[in-house]
Amino acid sequence: MARKRERLEVIKDILESIRSSRNIKPTRLLYSSNLSPQMFKEYINELLSKNFISLEIDDKEKKTFSLTKKGQDFLQEYRVIENLIENFGL
Amino acid sequence: MLEWIIENKEILKFFYTFIIATVCAVIVIKTDRLFGLSSHQGIRYLRNAFLFYGVGFIIRSLLEIQSFPYRLLSILFEFFLIMAGFFLLYSLLWKRIETAPKNYTSSLFNPRVFLFYSLALVISLIDNLWRTYVFMFFSQIMLFTFASVISFKNYMNNGKKHTFLKFYFAAMFLSLSAWTLNALAALFFQWNQTFVMGVYAINLVIFLLFLYGVIKVTKK
Repeated sequence: MARKRERLEVIKDILESIRSSRNIKPTRLLYSSNLSPQMFKEYINELLSKNFISLEIDDKEKKTFSLTKKGQDFLQEYRVIENLIENFGL
Repeated sequence: MLEWIIENKEILKFFYTFIIATVCAVIVIKTDRLFGLSSHQGIRYLRNAFLFYGVGFIIRSLLEIQSFPYRLLSILFEFFLIMAGFFLLYSLLWKRIETAPKNYTSSLFNPRVFLFYSLALVISLIDNLWRTYVFMFFSQIMLFTFASVISFKNYMNNGKKHTFLKFYFAAMFLSLSAWTLNALAALFFQWNQTFVMGVYAINLVIFLLFLYGVIKVTKK
């Protein structure tokens, strides 16, 4: 059975998907995140409220997500955060 | 050597407090930044532990100043030190306890932490009332026994992959030794200076170990 992903790992995966596509539509992001729609909504709301990602809506009402500076910082520091958690048994 | 240390103990105590307060400040700043990005509760409790240790040791150094209210400072010193121990242990345990997300906005003012505050306050008040440190010593000996067992299990499970886990266990075991030595010095050896200096030396090693760990694992 596949290992359950930790919260931080899920966030990293979502942010990496957004980074690799620059701008990504919600449906595509949902598929790539491997989450249920309910969980996906919770994570997206958290990332928007923390200002890790931004939601843009164009003239045709099309929604896309993009990475903010804070989101980029998180991805850069992810290994450091993971290292601290694992080495201190937190 | 010991005579020289005892003769210069005031200046040495100042440097001791300065080193520990600086170590705590560095750890708090580094972990606070990582908590800001990750919102990881374990990092949050680790940060709180060193915040309380830092404040506790600064208050402890004020106990020497005659014009300051000794009893009040003594209660505060014990309170902060006991709280720091609780936060440190809780940083290892929170995953087993916080199964449902509560999303408390503050880690210093929430119902769970109020339980710790109450316990720490009761212990420091009883000690002060009886003019002893016995309850603090026993609470910390129990706490670090528990923390040593958990960190040893962490080391056995993941020690090969994450090398700092063995130093973390060493720090917990040294903390247990320091509190035991402190209790022995107070209860059976009338604060024998050799014992007290031993406790100071062990404490320095513990805080420097934590600093080494934080710097090492947060190095990019």
